[in-house]
Amino acid sequence: MTEETTSGGETGWICNLCKVPLEVQTIRLQYSRTIFALHLPACPRCGMILIAEELATGKMAEAEQILEDK
Amino acid sequence: MDRPYRNETESLCPVCLKRIRATRVFQGDEVFLVKECGDHGPFRTVIWRGEPPMAEWRRPKEPVRPEVCYGAVDAGCPFDCGLCAAHEQLPCSVLIEVTDRCNLHCAVCFADSGRGETEDPPLARISWLLERAMAAAGPCNLQLSGGEPTLRDDLPDIVDAARRIGYSFIQVNTNGLRLATDIGYGRWLRAAGLSSVFLQFDGVEDEIYRLLRGRALLDLKLQAVRNCGEAGLGVVLVPTLVKSVNTGSVGAIVRQALQLAPTVRGIHFQPVSYFGRFPEQRGDEGRFTLPELMRSLEEQTGGLVRVTDFSPPGCEHALCSFHATYMHSAGGRLRPIGAGKGDGCCSADPGAGGVRKTVETVSRRWSLPSEAPRFFRPPLPAENLCCDVSGPNTIPGEGPLDLDLFLNEIAAGSFTISAMAFQDAENLDLERLRGCCISVVSPDGMLVPFCAYNLTGREGRGLYRRRSGPGQ
Repeated sequence: MTEETTSGGETGWICNLCKVPLEVQTIRLQYSRTIFALHLPACPRCGMILIAEELATGKMAEAEQILEDK
Repeated sequence: MDRPYRNETESLCPVCLKRIRATRVFQGDEVFLVKECGDHGPFRTVIWRGEPPMAEWRRPKEPVRPEVCYGAVDAGCPFDCGLCAAHEQLPCSVLIEVTDRCNLHCAVCFADSGRGETEDPPLARISWLLERAMAAAGPCNLQLSGGEPTLRDDLPDIVDAARRIGYSFIQVNTNGLRLATDIGYGRWLRAAGLSSVFLQFDGVEDEIYRLLRGRALLDLKLQAVRNCGEAGLGVVLVPTLVKSVNTGSVGAIVRQALQLAPTVRGIHFQPVSYFGRFPEQRGDEGRFTLPELMRSLEEQTGGLVRVTDFSPPGCEHALCSFHATYMHSAGGRLRPIGAGKGDGCCSADPGAGGVRKTVETVSRRWSLPSEAPRFFRPPLPAENLCCDVSGPNTIPGEGPLDLDLFLNEIAAGSFTISAMAFQDAENLDLERLRGCCISVVSPDGMLVPFCAYNLTGREGRGLYRRRSGPGQ
């Protein structure tokens, strides 16, 4: 994802494929059968979503550990 | 009929405890363990009744052999426990009996405790046993049991010793009488490093306690929970379920437990098994199988918990237990988290043997909901999102979660409902036993699967437990 984007625009990111600024969207992400609503930068044209490394290795990883079945 | 489990297994003759062949027989929506001893004739015991079907209750695991074995493969399962190299699972929990004394004389007691025949093992001996268990099983969960462990004034010293040896999750298995009357004792245990209390809690009516425990105990149980809360100790309620006594009370127990959250972190139901001391009803009429309990939980809670919330275990054999973890909202609502029975991606642990999966594997399970839009325009605040666009994988009536709220609420305490079906000489299935992950540290330092350790034949003879008890 980061390789396909450069900083700029409202969110600080531009979709490298569509050349349009990413917009903050309410994205639904599902893990197992639990669905979360997150506000994330996304390309309004192709739908590509940017998940920052900090979020992926932080709160999302934490949620994974909780939701992971034992 | 599709039968994912092998029908053929092995068991013991409940009279002479000789190993014999056994067959799981599917008959209607019931499953029976059928076996025959050349000397003592045929035996037939119900092991599963109704929905969810046993055929669908599966979670296959690749066998994992213990690296350190104190028992040698010689006479064959279940006579070589130590564990032996033919065992198929690693221990996740070890249990040690620190006394045979008890301040109750319950009608139901897997350890047949309270005879007062033995001396308590000294702290040095217990430390040696715990070090030996650690060498074989690694830093798994530790349960201090008995008898009634809180009769020992030096129980905090035992907890402290276990911490020093390397056990990080230490639980005491107790009737709660001392914790109810001596709040300083709970604080002392907490300061020593106790993690949690596994509290015998059979119902919310005193009549249940009179029948199972010999006296009215409800007020003491509730006081024990309050004192644990003040001491900073989490509590798991542990009801022993006996048909015609308290199997009609599982819903009331759930409601009571939720009122006692977050001190009470969950409930672990244990349908009675026929070893140690138990009511005189060895027949099928006294059996309360796991699917019956799942359905009773749904019926008696009015759907607050549901059969579909429950999953087979990732550690022990699938037929031994079920569990569900919930996010507990302040309004008393329960929201199941985790896979649930219907989630196919949890149906197998290939190659993992129940050992925790890697983060890399786990990470593949994030996805966009298949039936939901990838994103919304214009952006909506999360609290305004409605469940009407939720896909079929969403819990009915539940909307999407805010990630921060979820993490905060879980930090405040999730709530777990689980159950374990222990095995006795009548329904023992050696395939299940080889997959056991709960080991008792015997007085001579062997690791013995819980059900093998406690198993007694019809004439009271034990397979492993000796009447000389924990102090030998």
